[in-house]
Amino acid sequence: MSGLSIQELWRRTLNVRTASLYLFPSILLFIVFVFYPMFRTIYLSFYLTDQNGNAAIHVGLENYAYLLASSEFLNSMKATALFVLYTVPIGILIALFFALLANEKLRGIGFYRTMYSSTMGISVAASSVIWLFLFHPSIGVFNRVLLTIGMPQIQWLLDPQWALVSVSISTIWMNTGFSFLILLGGLQNIDQHLYESARIDGAKYFYRLRRITIPMLSPTLFFIITISLINAFQSFGQIDILTKGGPTQSTNLIVYSIYREAFINYQFGTASAQAVILFIIILIVTILQFKLGERKVHYQ
Amino acid sequence: MKQIVKLSLFSLLIFTLVMLTACTNSDSTKKEVKPVKDKEKAGGTEEKVSIEFWHAMSGTGQESLDEIVKGFNESQDDYEVKAEFQGTYEESLTKLRSVGGTKDAPAITQVFEVGTKYMIDSGYIEPIQSFIDKHKYDSSELEQNILNYYKIDDKLYSMPFNSSTPVMLYNKDAFKEAGLDPDKAPETFAEVIDAAAKLKKGEMYGFSMLTYGWFFEQLVATQGGLYVNEDNGRSGDATEALFNGTEGQNVFRFLDTMNKAGTFGNFGTNWDDIRAAFSSGKVAMYLDSSAGVAGAIATTPFDVGVAYMPHGDDAERNGVVIGGASLWMSKGIAEKEQEAAWEFMKYLTTPKVQAKWHLDTGYFAINPKAYEEADVKEKWAEYPQYKVTVDQLQDTKANLATQGALISVFPESRQYVVTALEELYQGGNPKEALDQAVEGTNRAIEIANKTKK
Repeated sequence: MSGLSIQELWRRTLNVRTASLYLFPSILLFIVFVFYPMFRTIYLSFYLTDQNGNAAIHVGLENYAYLLASSEFLNSMKATALFVLYTVPIGILIALFFALLANEKLRGIGFYRTMYSSTMGISVAASSVIWLFLFHPSIGVFNRVLLTIGMPQIQWLLDPQWALVSVSISTIWMNTGFSFLILLGGLQNIDQHLYESARIDGAKYFYRLRRITIPMLSPTLFFIITISLINAFQSFGQIDILTKGGPTQSTNLIVYSIYREAFINYQFGTASAQAVILFIIILIVTILQFKLGERKVHYQ
Repeated sequence: MKQIVKLSLFSLLIFTLVMLTACTNSDSTKKEVKPVKDKEKAGGTEEKVSIEFWHAMSGTGQESLDEIVKGFNESQDDYEVKAEFQGTYEESLTKLRSVGGTKDAPAITQVFEVGTKYMIDSGYIEPIQSFIDKHKYDSSELEQNILNYYKIDDKLYSMPFNSSTPVMLYNKDAFKEAGLDPDKAPETFAEVIDAAAKLKKGEMYGFSMLTYGWFFEQLVATQGGLYVNEDNGRSGDATEALFNGTEGQNVFRFLDTMNKAGTFGNFGTNWDDIRAAFSSGKVAMYLDSSAGVAGAIATTPFDVGVAYMPHGDDAERNGVVIGGASLWMSKGIAEKEQEAAWEFMKYLTTPKVQAKWHLDTGYFAINPKAYEEADVKEKWAEYPQYKVTVDQLQDTKANLATQGALISVFPESRQYVVTALEELYQGGNPKEALDQAVEGTNRAIEIANKTKK
């Protein structure tokens, strides 16, 4: 009897077993590269670590309490929020503008498509170094130009008022290529018959843009907004090369602050606590976005 | 749709396979390598002992170092040193933390001066003193002012290697134009403030300093001020930062005065930026490392003057603290490898090698006999500026202030000082900015002491 029920169970779970076999490789990878580090981070965030980064003293929520009371961390949060605000909307609007231009069927349009997406091919490090030279206080191109047209020079990366803006400008430039490519792909996928019918009905360009292009592009837009938001929250390379978080902490974004706390100061406890807070923030933003934004998305 | 799902599943599978094979591959190579290494160790006298040397020198420093290592390998048949660049001081220290104290650690690691306390506490290292005693090596022939920094309780833990101090560089042509004596640089804070006001003209600022904690520490030390308590951390673990005392406030007021007068140029935290500003005539006087003197002379179109660091108005000049890095020997590696490391370190301290190192890079020779070498004398005759840096070091009074502070959280403390300086340049209150830096440093020290085993 019992033998039969085991056999029965074995037969019934066939699907589950097959599924887990298929899932096994990816679950393994997730455990090694995602879940283990994540739980380790959460664990470390409750400890003070010694100089080799090992958990030494259990302090409960003290790391979190310290962070939320520390003006430095709050400033970091503010800078990150501003950075996201500066880079995401403008970056996507510019990419959308270029994508609309490059979507026209003209001779040699392939050249422009390549140009507009070319920033995707440059690594963050390489492009940051280029921008570092452009922003250079004494020999940089921007200040030279300002000088020739008789404007006062700007301390791009040294003035706390400007540093975050400067970093944002270079970030927008770096990210435009990727957003452009995704948006162009979305545009190319829109059924041409819709435009033809609209034209027959006498719809003007901006009417078509508003009523056909944007709604049909909305899944792609939604995707790129989500990705850009998460990317902006996690920006690191350009900060490390351009400003190192300075001047007066004005560009000390959370990820950079985590890096500094962990790998220069070896305070893995507070660094982990910051990482957990960042994780929660991104989670909330993404959930909000799915709740609010997805209603407006039109899936075919 | 089905197609896409299939395709993505397929690529996931490929990805997994690649990852897994990549992992196993590296495992198998490791296993293959090890027996060879063991054989080498067991192979007796004929096999060369090969050791790794991790360093953080890039540019001309790396070129010169590679030549020196090559010279050592060719000078004898028993040992072979492999020099490996491991990134900046911070990066190589991070890597060392993951292998420190094990068999895989490099025999020699170059660690910056502010990592000294950390290295001693880490338990990764074999104090050099034990080899000095064992081989009756005469360490008195090395530069005493440099040993002063690295000796703790009269024990040398690491071999000093690339050492530098700060100096003040100035534009002699600009001095002439402003009606100042180009052969006599301002010496005190007040004199620098005066000169800066006279030199400020159009696009050229009078004075500048890299926004970097090191220079602040030096300006405090030259007034005889201590950075932390417990005799600058040398008679016990420091528990409190002292750099917001009179001496530190003097430094901040000195900078604040010029900043408010508009004679101070802020060129940020990047060495290259401030050097470019100097060579393009945007600033007339600035503080640089003695290792930057060679570059400044080579790249500027005008006459460069080198002067001692300015000191406080009331206090007499105490001198400078050694900066740079030293070489550490690993513990837990084979004895033969330690011997090899020791031989290499001894080779490095010979006058000839030190003369080459000094001329190539502008770092000090840790063996003063190097200054007697013919090519050094020749170069000094041509560029007397080089000699100023050495004179400044040898004029330094040996005391607790100029020995330099020992704390394990120095890198963190420097960040707080940088933030304080930046706040000051934005018009912040000098005392408040300084107090905040002390507060941050104190917390870091407290955690370090609490978690210390």
